Amino acid sequence: MKQKLTLNIVTPKKQIVSEEVDQVNVPGIEGDLGILYDHAPILTTLRSGQLSYEKDGETIALVVSGGYLEVTDNRVTVLAETGEFLHEIDRHRAEIAQAVAEKQLSQTDLSEEEFIEAQKKLFRAVARLENLSDN
Amino acid sequence: MANLKVIKRRIQSVKNTQQITKAMKLVAASKLRKAQQAILEARPYAIKMMDVLNHLAARCSSDLHPMFEVREENRHLFLIITSDKGLCGGFNSSIVRKMSQHLKNNGQNENSLIVAGKKGIDIFRNRSVTVQEEIPLWTKDFDYIKAQGIAENLSTLFSEKKFDKVFMVYNEFKSVMQQEVVVEQLLPVVPEELSGKNSAIVVDYIYEPNEEAILADLLKRYMAVEVYRAFLESSASEHGARMTAMDSATRNAGEMIEGLTLTYNKARQAYITKELIEIVNGAEALKG
Repeated sequence: MKQKLTLNIVTPKKQIVSEEVDQVNVPGIEGDLGILYDHAPILTTLRSGQLSYEKDGETIALVVSGGYLEVTDNRVTVLAETGEFLHEIDRHRAEIAQAVAEKQLSQTDLSEEEFIEAQKKLFRAVARLENLSDN
Repeated sequence: MANLKVIKRRIQSVKNTQQITKAMKLVAASKLRKAQQAILEARPYAIKMMDVLNHLAARCSSDLHPMFEVREENRHLFLIITSDKGLCGGFNSSIVRKMSQHLKNNGQNENSLIVAGKKGIDIFRNRSVTVQEEIPLWTKDFDYIKAQGIAENLSTLFSEKKFDKVFMVYNEFKSVMQQEVVVEQLLPVVPEELSGKNSAIVVDYIYEPNEEAILADLLKRYMAVEVYRAFLESSASEHGARMTAMDSATRNAGEMIEGLTLTYNKARQAYITKELIEIVNGAEALKG
């Protein structure tokens, strides 16, 4: 029997995923990570991007933004600010968000905080759109 | 007869009121269900967050981040969560009572308030206490983003040393019938001691990018989650309180209608009897 990981993905709104899976691929802050059975304990922040997990030969992908990944004892916990399955993503809204963020970034009088905030928004929108066109 | 008409009109008006309170009760019940659902769904996130935070805090020294800093001075800030609408029983008055009590007992401190909800704003405006900020109409489409904004504001006030302690005062949702006003310390963050059994399972994590960065980021989110949770609790409590209040109002109206109907019937009976007597008397007089 194949050894399984317990994957939990939770957002402030609700628990999205609670399943036994074979592999989890996450967008870590310093590079993408693939988590397999018996991974060492790790705690890392996540970028906005695609998170996928493999279960019985099937790959399921979702887009997460802002959060953490914790692995202990073959339990994988993802705390994300938002998380959506690909089919839930609203292309139109993401495109608008991207346009708004780009416009904001093109202004020159942004404070550092505003700049970071707008940049984050742009990354989030781009992450959503990129993953949409893949599928 | 005039008297009869007056009673009849009153019965009708009480009946109308009863209909309104009944409708309000049903609306509150359905909103309550939604609010309860929201709490349940937010809970796993909050619990997990607390776990991770405690782990990290146990491993890092507590002077690592300004949000852990305990200061000597006594400038306290209270975030008070009340409702925007009335007709919810003792919901707002109990929170105001608790707060006034608290302010009185801690008069030596410098106390300031941030009041959320129109009802609370109206009350605290007339009190001799500094209101730092007002957040009216929060109940209208409240979400995590708003909570984040409020949390950020609180963190800034704290880390700029404008205040030394930050509390939240809100109605905690115990059950539909029961709400309890709680005063909770939000800042400085007090990590739970990992005691005895738990300390054995402190795991050596790999940290990416590093402990400090994660802790800083985590604390920001922790604040937002705590504020979000408090608002959700308050919202569920409000609907619960309104439901109970409207239920008893409906029942009271029912009792009133019963009483009035009895009076009405008595008056009608008296009127009929009186008329009968008059007729009989009239007939007697003609005979004679």
